[in-house]
Amino acid sequence: MSDEVIYQCVIMGSEGTEEPVHIVLSDEDNMLDDEEGNSRIFEDLEPTSWINDEDTDVTTFFHRVDSDQIIYEAKKKRCKMIGKYVMGDLLGEGSYGKVKEVLDSETLCRRAVKILKKRKLRRIPNGEQNVQREIVLLKKLQHRNVIGLLDVLVNDEKEKMYLIMEFCVVGLQSMLESTPKKRFPLWQAHGYFCQLMDGLQYLHSQRIIHKDIKPGNLLLTLSGVLKISDLGVAEALDFFAEDDTCFTGQGSPAFQPPEIANGHEKFLGFKVDIWSSGVTLYNITTGLYPFEGDNIFRLFENIGKGEYTIPDEIENPLRDLLHGMLQKDANQRFTLQQIRQHPWFLRKPSQTLEQVPVPPLRGDELHNMTVLPYLMDFHYVEDSASVQPQYYTEHERNAWAEGVEPECYPSEWADHVSDARSRSKEASPKKFQDELRYNHGEEVLENPSEANKRKSKRRTTSCISVKKFPPCKQS
Amino acid sequence: MSSTSHSQSPPPPNSQNEEECIYEPDTNSYLIMSMLGQCCGDVGKVYLAFHVPSKTPIALKQFNVDKIKDEMENIQNEIILTRQLRHPNVVMVSASFVLQSYVTVISPLMAFGSCRDLLNRHFTEGLPELAISYILKDILQALDYIHRKGYVHRAVRASHILVNANGEAVLSGLRYACRLVKNGRWQRSVHSFPTTSARNLNWLSPELLEQNLQGYNEKSDMYSLGVTACELANGVAPFQDHPPTLMLTEKVRGYAPVLLDCTTCPQFADTGQQNSNQTQAQADSGVGDSVGSNGNSLEGNSLTTRRFTDHFHRFAELCLQRDPENRPSASQLLGHSFFKLPRRMNAPPLPQLLHPVIPLTKEVLGLQNYEEFQVMDRFGEMDLNSCEWDF
Repeated sequence: MSDEVIYQCVIMGSEGTEEPVHIVLSDEDNMLDDEEGNSRIFEDLEPTSWINDEDTDVTTFFHRVDSDQIIYEAKKKRCKMIGKYVMGDLLGEGSYGKVKEVLDSETLCRRAVKILKKRKLRRIPNGEQNVQREIVLLKKLQHRNVIGLLDVLVNDEKEKMYLIMEFCVVGLQSMLESTPKKRFPLWQAHGYFCQLMDGLQYLHSQRIIHKDIKPGNLLLTLSGVLKISDLGVAEALDFFAEDDTCFTGQGSPAFQPPEIANGHEKFLGFKVDIWSSGVTLYNITTGLYPFEGDNIFRLFENIGKGEYTIPDEIENPLRDLLHGMLQKDANQRFTLQQIRQHPWFLRKPSQTLEQVPVPPLRGDELHNMTVLPYLMDFHYVEDSASVQPQYYTEHERNAWAEGVEPECYPSEWADHVSDARSRSKEASPKKFQDELRYNHGEEVLENPSEANKRKSKRRTTSCISVKKFPPCKQS
Repeated sequence: MSSTSHSQSPPPPNSQNEEECIYEPDTNSYLIMSMLGQCCGDVGKVYLAFHVPSKTPIALKQFNVDKIKDEMENIQNEIILTRQLRHPNVVMVSASFVLQSYVTVISPLMAFGSCRDLLNRHFTEGLPELAISYILKDILQALDYIHRKGYVHRAVRASHILVNANGEAVLSGLRYACRLVKNGRWQRSVHSFPTTSARNLNWLSPELLEQNLQGYNEKSDMYSLGVTACELANGVAPFQDHPPTLMLTEKVRGYAPVLLDCTTCPQFADTGQQNSNQTQAQADSGVGDSVGSNGNSLEGNSLTTRRFTDHFHRFAELCLQRDPENRPSASQLLGHSFFKLPRRMNAPPLPQLLHPVIPLTKEVLGLQNYEEFQVMDRFGEMDLNSCEWDF
């Protein structure tokens, strides 16, 4: 029998199952147009038709494949530029698109880029409008605690927009999730809360209502400065508006105030941010939410009632502050000035518990520049096409997933970091290319320890997703 | 003449050789004679000026407030910080005020200009080793002082080293300095990246450039000092012709610049370092090229025949170590054998070592007679406009 067999999108050789198989994982987060990129690999394959294959029995149809027979090709670190910015790895993903690290090739300053695809934006309600608004707002804002927008690049051909922003290592949400109790020690929370109030006061002074204050939108820089980010649903009050009355709210449900939960037609904007900040403070100090619900209707019902409890361990000045910020009646709710004069705000709690650190990114505790490997490739590998591809198996990958010491640098140059003197003499840039070449023919796997070293730089994707395989595409 | 005074300056009490005088914010008191150089691109200009009441030449720096944007904060910091510091090897601000739309800073005149000037105009292949020893010792003293005050300088480079008429080196460029003390606590490391200082990138340490969670501390300045040592010795700054990203990867990989002499330029010398061929040549090619383009072809120049002492080589290597923990502190380095060279070799003082260079002293300027018009003539002859002060 010589049927082509497909198993989890693995293309088996036609001679038999013993022969190893190549799956080529192309640079999924390197190439921005990955949809088109991946499909090309399978172009020469005929779509298999099995509808009429009655003689094929199930055992040959679904072939068992050992995990060490599924072979991946390691992603190549090809250097890509957007304007003067060198692209790095993925930092996060939002509904609007990806956020990646970039490096300003002139100032060598780390930056983040928010990549917006028009195609995606059109699918989101108010998507394009929100983005335009965010750009207009961010451009005129400048404050230590508000994320800075430095540059906007547009690629009309690809229908993409690149927002170059200040670089942040982590969001408070990810930090909370990295701890067992999902909360910060009080002194640490106090530091973030004070910065949040500083940033919020600035925004309000610029007549801007953020409307989506929550730990996920509060980012930290390398030096621990908090940045209010994501002004996608923010509203700038009309210059001639009499007060801060708003009519729409689009923020995250759990952080919405009762007036929005109850569906009021209009409400006071500044007090929305105060409420959300109150929920945020409640969340980062207790690890809980004041209001919960199985679904958004239940949640809004609970918020609408405005009844909540604060855990007993929260003692008074803070307890009182939370009550003041989580007042159901917006008019009773604390103003920024009241918060700033509150005893808890004014006095920093003593530093008793250990600080929650920034969790590692893909195993890298130091959050090194992810652009470096691309630059290494660019500067030291003259002809990247001549470099033999590197392969590793599913089996090896599973082993890595079980925790191998993460490394900051890929193996090719990690060894060189230790001794500067000897390196400058022997490290001919071309040298490590030879190390990558193996002589046992194409199908021979490289030894696992070599492969281990590269683990930290790899994205843990599952097998190629079916949707990227043209014959399997839905019509 | 309308003028707004921001800070009425007290007289500089210990300006070495001058009598006490008050620099008032009044255009009539200053006679601008010639431009010495620019700083921060074209935002700031440094002039040689004559202070009429005290009849002394001074350096007058003006920043056009309308043009300063990103640098505003830096300039403000620089003035505030320099006025808090008092050390013979740290640049002094005698007065600062706002005149029309210019922030004006008055400093004592540094008669030999910056080390970058000296390199550009007289010592294209580098300063004599003994002169470097004098200069770096002074700068280490300045760094030791600044570090003790809790600052990282972040811009140690030849253009920020000025030499006065007595041959004392003075560190300037404090607008890039960064505080190590935050909220009353001494930080083990800081993370802030100087975004406005693209011009200083080549001198910055790998750990500062890496911008990771490890951060950097005052040891970063020691690396910059090592790069400056190479700059003073080689005539050109390391990485000068490299694109910034290549400079970054080189530093991160741990490649350190070297002092160029017969022990480190093996392609022309028959020393024992044959094996260090390819990388060395590649890494240094930028330097070699630019030396060539300076008008001195590599053959026949002294780079390949001269020899620096082992003390100097070891000093540079100590500063340029990849791991900041291994770099000695400024005070430790002050005891290094490199700085004992001048005495051991019975060297003449620095002004003599810089021999063909004529310092801009009162006498040279011919100011004893206060005949300003005559002075202006003299400046024309001296062609001061080509001077490059970035301080």
